[in-house]
Amino acid sequence: MLVVAASAYVKGMAQEKTEVRGVVRDAETQQGMAGVTVAASGATVKTDSIGSYRMEVGPNAVLTFSSVGYESVEIPVNSRRVVDVMLQKSTTALDQVVVIGYGTQRKSDLTGSVGSISERTLKERPASSVNEMLAGRISGVQVNVNSGRPGGFTNVRVRGFSSINSSNDPLYVIDGVMTESMGFINPTDIVSIEILKDASSTAIYGARGANGVILITTKRGKSGFSEVNYNVDVSTPTLGPNMPKYLNAREYLQVEDIAYRNIEKYDPVGWADGKYELRNPALNRTDPRLFDSEGNPLYDTDWMDEATQHRISQNHQLGITGGSDSRSYAVSLGYRDDQGLIKTSYMKRYNGRLTFDDQVRDWLKVGGTLTYNYQTENRVDQDYLPIRMIAEGLPFLPVKYPDGSWSANRDYPYAEASLNPIQYLYERKYILNTQTALGNIYSNIRLFEGLEMRTELGTSNITQEINTSVSRGLSIMGEQGSASVNNGRTNFWSLDHYFTYNNSLSDVHSINAMLGMSWQESSAFGINVSVQNFPSDYFGFNNIGAGSNNPIYGSGASRFSFNSYFGRVNYSMFNKYLLTVTGRIDGSSKFGDNYKYAFFPSAALAWRVSDEPFLRQNEVVSNLKLRMSYGVTGNSEIPPYSSLSLLNSGYIAVLGDQRVGGTGIGRLANPDLRWEKTAQSDVGVELGLFNNRIAIEGDLYYRKTTDMLLDAPVPRSSGYATIRRNVGSMENKGIELTVNSRNIENNAFSWKTTFNISMNRNKVLSLATPSDIIGVGGVVFINPTNIIREGAPVGSFYGLIREGIWSEAEREEAAKFASYRNGLPILPGDIKYRDVNGDYAITDADRMIIGNGSPDGWGALVNEFTYRNWGLTVDLQYAYGNDVFELSMGSSEDRVALANSYRTVLNAWTPENQHSIIPELRDTRAGYVINEDTHWLKDGSFVRGRNLALSYTLPSGMTQRWGVNQLRVYASLQNFFLIVSDEVNGDPETVGTGFGAGAFSQGLTYHAYPKPTLYMLGVNVSF
Amino acid sequence: MKFFSSRSTVIAVLTVCCGLSIWGCSGFLKEVDPTNLTKESFFTIPEHAESAIAAVYADTRFIGDYAGSFSANWQLLEALTGTSTTESAENASLNNLYSLVHDGNNRHIVNWWNGLYRVIAQANLVIENVPNISPMDEEQRSKIMGEAYFLRAWAYFYAVRLWGDIPLITKPQNAGSDDFFPQRTSIEEVYALIVNDLVNAESAGLPWMDKSGRVSLAAVKSQLAMVYLTMAGYPLNKGNAYYQLAAEKSGEVITYARANPGILNLFGDYSAFRDPSRKNELEQIFMIQFHGSIVPNMQGLFTRPNFKPVSVTNTGVGTTVPTLDFYNSFADDDLRKKDKTGFFYTSYYTNGSGALFSLGGPYIFKFFNTIANGAPGQTGTGVDDLNIHQIRFAEVLLVFAEATNESTGISDDAYEALTRIRTRAGLTTAARNSFSKETFREAIWKERWHELCYEGITWFDMVRLRKVYNERTDRFDDFVGHVNLSSNQTLKDRHLLLPLPTLEMSDNPNLRPQNPGY
Repeated sequence: MLVVAASAYVKGMAQEKTEVRGVVRDAETQQGMAGVTVAASGATVKTDSIGSYRMEVGPNAVLTFSSVGYESVEIPVNSRRVVDVMLQKSTTALDQVVVIGYGTQRKSDLTGSVGSISERTLKERPASSVNEMLAGRISGVQVNVNSGRPGGFTNVRVRGFSSINSSNDPLYVIDGVMTESMGFINPTDIVSIEILKDASSTAIYGARGANGVILITTKRGKSGFSEVNYNVDVSTPTLGPNMPKYLNAREYLQVEDIAYRNIEKYDPVGWADGKYELRNPALNRTDPRLFDSEGNPLYDTDWMDEATQHRISQNHQLGITGGSDSRSYAVSLGYRDDQGLIKTSYMKRYNGRLTFDDQVRDWLKVGGTLTYNYQTENRVDQDYLPIRMIAEGLPFLPVKYPDGSWSANRDYPYAEASLNPIQYLYERKYILNTQTALGNIYSNIRLFEGLEMRTELGTSNITQEINTSVSRGLSIMGEQGSASVNNGRTNFWSLDHYFTYNNSLSDVHSINAMLGMSWQESSAFGINVSVQNFPSDYFGFNNIGAGSNNPIYGSGASRFSFNSYFGRVNYSMFNKYLLTVTGRIDGSSKFGDNYKYAFFPSAALAWRVSDEPFLRQNEVVSNLKLRMSYGVTGNSEIPPYSSLSLLNSGYIAVLGDQRVGGTGIGRLANPDLRWEKTAQSDVGVELGLFNNRIAIEGDLYYRKTTDMLLDAPVPRSSGYATIRRNVGSMENKGIELTVNSRNIENNAFSWKTTFNISMNRNKVLSLATPSDIIGVGGVVFINPTNIIREGAPVGSFYGLIREGIWSEAEREEAAKFASYRNGLPILPGDIKYRDVNGDYAITDADRMIIGNGSPDGWGALVNEFTYRNWGLTVDLQYAYGNDVFELSMGSSEDRVALANSYRTVLNAWTPENQHSIIPELRDTRAGYVINEDTHWLKDGSFVRGRNLALSYTLPSGMTQRWGVNQLRVYASLQNFFLIVSDEVNGDPETVGTGFGAGAFSQGLTYHAYPKPTLYMLGVNVSF
Repeated sequence: MKFFSSRSTVIAVLTVCCGLSIWGCSGFLKEVDPTNLTKESFFTIPEHAESAIAAVYADTRFIGDYAGSFSANWQLLEALTGTSTTESAENASLNNLYSLVHDGNNRHIVNWWNGLYRVIAQANLVIENVPNISPMDEEQRSKIMGEAYFLRAWAYFYAVRLWGDIPLITKPQNAGSDDFFPQRTSIEEVYALIVNDLVNAESAGLPWMDKSGRVSLAAVKSQLAMVYLTMAGYPLNKGNAYYQLAAEKSGEVITYARANPGILNLFGDYSAFRDPSRKNELEQIFMIQFHGSIVPNMQGLFTRPNFKPVSVTNTGVGTTVPTLDFYNSFADDDLRKKDKTGFFYTSYYTNGSGALFSLGGPYIFKFFNTIANGAPGQTGTGVDDLNIHQIRFAEVLLVFAEATNESTGISDDAYEALTRIRTRAGLTTAARNSFSKETFREAIWKERWHELCYEGITWFDMVRLRKVYNERTDRFDDFVGHVNLSSNQTLKDRHLLLPLPTLEMSDNPNLRPQNPGY
């Protein structure tokens, strides 16, 4: 068809132009369609609110009609004055119009790498957050859902890491407005998501594009067409696959007996001195509440079972869209009540949204959006204690004693003195309330044919309260109850003006140019108070003045601003040779006086090979496009004021038992602080076979980040720890491949398959600091877990190598080691570490890079089947080559009999079982050792059944009798299986509780909120 | 070119101009931090001096800060002595100190380096800027300067004893400072600064004692006496003249105490160490300040037994617990050994206030806060208000006795100083004339080991004397070759100094060489 169009251009050259007009309608609904792109000879216009258009063309021109989600249509004018057209819903992706920065483009005209998800695809996987909907959908985009908490907790990385301790999160742009708070957008309001990956696409967002850009388009009304849509779903969670297994009561007591008996072997002197006599379990199993007279346990509690609930969650979404001749609107209301798998955890969201668009004059269109969200949730996993105690609660304790009081590990002599997990769940609160008001208004002015000016004013106002309280009964250090209130507000506004020019210089050349400027400002203010010692648990955080001890209070304010100028030229010749050039100048307040502004250019070329004569008639290849791009983007996500020298007024001295505020050293100045930059090259190919039944898209990329922003260490003799400066460089290189295939397609039955795979390799090329960087971006557990070293992937896991357990045969060799267990000699049954430097001492010098949390490859395989009105989706996700570093191993396996353990300790080393990797059981006071080592590191490769969805649409003949356009019923089973190495305890896709802030925390396991299997039923009605 | 409407053009131009007007504000990208001061806007009024000296005090608390799980920084100075051991192996850094295999990556060592230089930097800020505040009451200015000089000397005294030659930084730093990447300065020069700072502080008009916990004249003089005593021994070996200086300086404190026994004296018994109401008074000359409702002291957590119910909070990790050998080296009738009376306890009340139970061995009672943990008939509050000990009058007495004995031989006053310590412990002391200079010397050393245990002092005695108390022979071994009974590891030459932190050496290429043996 394009070929026909091209030849028509040639014929149409040098002919008189006349006006053509008409109306574009949806073939299904017969309604006029607004915003349809009508193109001829390189010029384009859009249909107005009722679907009509007019433009001047030659008598032999060919009109191309295109709109998001519809098949494009090309119609020769043939000297007609009126050309009306019906558009069919699209079945191929090629004709889709996709959103790019500051504009839209047909997918076939793209020169860059842009991933796109349509509303229909989004619907297949109902989720409470945008990121969860994205997981596995787009190659090159790694989305990890790291917690089973309602609302989830996700990490998104586009093509690996670009930064050390600046942000690695992508930029989110909602309806053209950059935002920092997409977490609160209502997923049902979204009509499409585009992800800009290569530099040609992202460079238009210059300074903020280095981590990829996620463009979110929300629903708007359509003129002349009204619809009410109501969606409801209910769901309930059960424990997901591969939950860790813990000792039961009988097993625990057995382990404790063995641990006691082995004291004699591991501390013979202490044993002989009688130091452990009181430790004899027989003497301690006397509490009549817990044991019978023989010392047998009365209870056998499964704490995981006790901590979970299976309550019904519900989600209601109501949307109304409509419009008259020139005006349209959309209204939506939503209510979501997610009840978590873990007791007392919930997330509730209330949202309302209004959009309007008005074609005021033929040259002026205005519109806007107003969104309000209120979200309230109890994050039980904000602190590791409740979830950790599920793992470590002693199994022979009841949840409560018959008198109604809570049990606790501390009730049992010599256990680690911790409290009851269920009590934590009920008596600790971490309430996060977030109100988000987002608004934007725009005007679109057509200055003359082909030239438009768009002005967008966007604002967001976010207020967030973090209110916490802990009951008196949960005092560990004598707090007698505590509460805190932490309130913050962030105001953001942006103002963008940009001109768009569309024209064809001739029928051979066409050009589309955009030039704009932007201002943004964000300011924040926060206040926090915490206090301890309350006379009653009644108040919680609602009357913080009732507390009397240890008041801590503070407030803070900050501001940053951007000023930018940007432009883009899309040039195409014969519609086959496409060129895009973009540039953006960004100025940020955050950088040193000498380096506030920076320039970010990019260029891309594409060649639609399938439009060349030699491929035009090819029966196999229906589409072939080659593209390449290069560009530079930046990263400026550092806190404000980083370049200034400041004193810190946060010191607290105690003088005369009074709190005295102090002012002292703060931050070192760096007037040369400048932008972190990422240069990226990309080569891509798009191939359609057999009339696009099979569509393949592949990309190769290389990204190099230079001038990385880092809190670089300085000599501590200065009194300062770090200076924020630009150091070193890092690369990411990778391959992405997506295959879409319509395997079977006939009237009754269709089968479609989508497969994607992404591979990314990261390497630190140089560091301006002389040494490795440790303690940045990961966690400081027993030792820092992550290291940044030249030549290695950024944020690699770091630890000792566990060779095994010293055997009886190695007794003499073991004894040569300086003690690494409480000063007692190393014996057979103790952990054998690799002594890398051969000094017979296990120290930090023996620690090495042992793994990495990033996968070698990841992706998804989605199969969709439809049979008449039935639909079935099987959505699988996978990753391989990612390591999991189980920090919970220290307390759940390497030490025993202080708290409950993994069941694996039943297979610990004994003289009869010398091949075990687990040290011989012994009382911890008789000498044991905990180190981050290779035994804690597991292969975290997995295949997950993410979603199994079945839907049935009632026959329209039947529903229309009831006045219903569509009635769809669906059922969904999410996280329904997991294939993972037996050795992994729990879910491998995880970030330990409390570790979320670290850039390299992915794969660090530490008592995360367990991921549920979710059962969902839903109904969707529209009329 | 056909315009749609002239109005469209007008509106477009207006909108763009409106945008450009923002650009017109040249300050749009300028930043001013509303929450932090700059040096230019600070140090203008006397209150700023008070605020700045408070930051120095705040940073002295690093000694009590965490050094990884189950451990705090102060434990560095105990783990190396061999007088204590641990009931938990969760902290690899602490394990390595106990086993004497620590290296420059050791977390405790790194924390001490960072913590001390931070105190020094804060003090430098005061010393550099407070003289320029005008107008300011001269008496107030002088006292604050005196406190800053003392605290800088206090930090350098620790650092020079731990690492030997160290960077000597006396001015506030910025990234362009000449000594931002300093070399090591000789021990001799570091001590010269310490003495100079303390002499400056001595004439600053500080009160003899200060109940608020600020630096007092008694603290300055006592610290100076200890500095002289250390300079007399290893590694400077300045000998007799410095023993004499130490005797004179500690003598001044003792003379004042004799004249003002209600202000400066020994406590009558050891329970006062555990009483939060008796902080910073009488015997307590200088302490690191804590307060339960502001910043609580965590020392008890690390010294209480590993998860034995001796406290209402029922937490204790037992990472500094006495070795049996050291406990047994106290005489049986020594009150300091008496259960729940002196420095140790071997039994306590369940959850602080319940039934008495045996602990199966000795634990440190010296800083056991009965108000926080509980006592019979009294449920604990869980909140520990105690301070961390730094300088006690008992140590001043022992410094005086030792310095006098070394410089001029045993005297009545020196003998009395020793016997006061022993008498309080319920011990009798051999007659004065039964001591020779040598036996008196060892008697003082031994008393130091026993009286000053677990207060961060013993390690520096080991280094200064190059002698270590052998708990089994009741005599003194040479440092090199002594076996720490806590881990059966032998002290070697290299242990006399700590390794420089590895990261510090790589961040500062001028900081070399590493101390021998590391």
